[in-house]
Amino acid sequence: MKGLLQVVVVELRLIVRDPSSAFFALAFPAVLLWVKMRSSDSLPGGVRDIDANVPMLTVFVIGLAALVVLPSTIAQYRERGILKRLRATPAAPGLLLGAQWIAHLVLAAAGTAVLVAIGVLAFDLAAPANVATVLLAWLLGATSLGGVGLLIGALVPNNRSATLLGLGLFFPMVFVSGAMIPRELTSGALRTIGDWTPMAPVVETIRAAWSGQPLSATTLIVMAAMSVTTTALAARVFRA
Amino acid sequence: MTVIEVEKLRKNYQSKVAVDGISLRVERGQILGIAGANGAGKTTLVECMSGLRSRDGGELRVLGMDPWTQRRQLQQRIGVQLQESALPDALKVGEAFRLYAALYDGGDWRTVMADWDLADKQRVRFASLSGGWKQRLFVALALVGDPEIVFLDELTTGLDPVARRTTWTMLKALRERGLTVVLVTHFMDEAEALCDQVLVIADGRVVAGGSPAELVARTATESLESAYLVLSGEELS
Repeated sequence: MKGLLQVVVVELRLIVRDPSSAFFALAFPAVLLWVKMRSSDSLPGGVRDIDANVPMLTVFVIGLAALVVLPSTIAQYRERGILKRLRATPAAPGLLLGAQWIAHLVLAAAGTAVLVAIGVLAFDLAAPANVATVLLAWLLGATSLGGVGLLIGALVPNNRSATLLGLGLFFPMVFVSGAMIPRELTSGALRTIGDWTPMAPVVETIRAAWSGQPLSATTLIVMAAMSVTTTALAARVFRA
Repeated sequence: MTVIEVEKLRKNYQSKVAVDGISLRVERGQILGIAGANGAGKTTLVECMSGLRSRDGGELRVLGMDPWTQRRQLQQRIGVQLQESALPDALKVGEAFRLYAALYDGGDWRTVMADWDLADKQRVRFASLSGGWKQRLFVALALVGDPEIVFLDELTTGLDPVARRTTWTMLKALRERGLTVVLVTHFMDEAEALCDQVLVIADGRVVAGGSPAELVARTATESLESAYLVLSGEELS
């Protein structure tokens, strides 16, 4: 798409210039990791806490970038007439949506890199059992949650509702899906509800890939299907 | 050569009629002024012509194209300055030019940036620009793609008197080079100084049209401002 690279570069610069999105996606998860590691222990099943916490918090980072920051940026652009002005150019309607999606994916990748670096340097994080499957799981996680974020951004009329909806989905989801509280420690209704959130397959897959357990084909297909349907739907309902 | 042809254009918003059967023609290299009170339908008319809104009736051809169904093709050849628009606060002037230039085939953003005295402000963030400089930037961005027609919705609103005169001079220079301009304006001195023809619109209809001199003569007034007040029915009684 014409101009895509240029728009992605600009969006990344804007993200970096906005201290709040940089803080939430990069510093906040790192602080959370540090807090969690001060008072933790091995998990039932013998998994070292750091080896669970880092993969879990990468999902926290993806969720924050995809569900909170991404829709709010799109909604702000709509509210302020930035999208309308772009509609008066020959740019394809999906250009900005695509560029935002890529830029926030890069933001999530940077947040993940910070977590991994802290894990390795400070807490002796174990290397992933298979880097390729971790990358695959991460990418599918990012595209599936990113699709949900795009859909929110495409639907909401303003930034207020984007933030409300984004945070309203993000916070309950990180608590019940196992991105904050290890799945080993939840049970019953909470765990069942958590399993039905779009974040649960992401947590499950990234953790499994990290520790070298086989990945569930069904879960991978669910994530791929979710990525495709949410993104296609977002592109369809997106209006400037 | 006719570049814009509008025939009995209609546009409704729910039950409200915004444009009610407007017809107009613009020849290449002309400056058309559209005047009228707030809510008269000026912006809707411009948005229909520039491919931002569909129409509910009538015919519309801009550079031989249907602005709605062929909008992407058309938008490559036109420039638009919207009445209410913005850029991200943290975007710098130079980045805005580069970004908009990347969306068009051709055009020379560096020259446009220099022409509009924005080169010194390349590193200034959008949010730090004064209202006048923002306005200047919007007009310049409308010209980045080297358009054949440019739609300017309230061109000089927010500009100081000196900047207004500079803008007029630049617009006249662009017309010399064959650019066609559609100008929505509240300022009759502006229309008088720039426009080849002026259309006065009220309630979505054309109430008068002609060159500024014709409008003044027809109303037996002394200036376009007085003529406008008579024609638009806004004259204070």
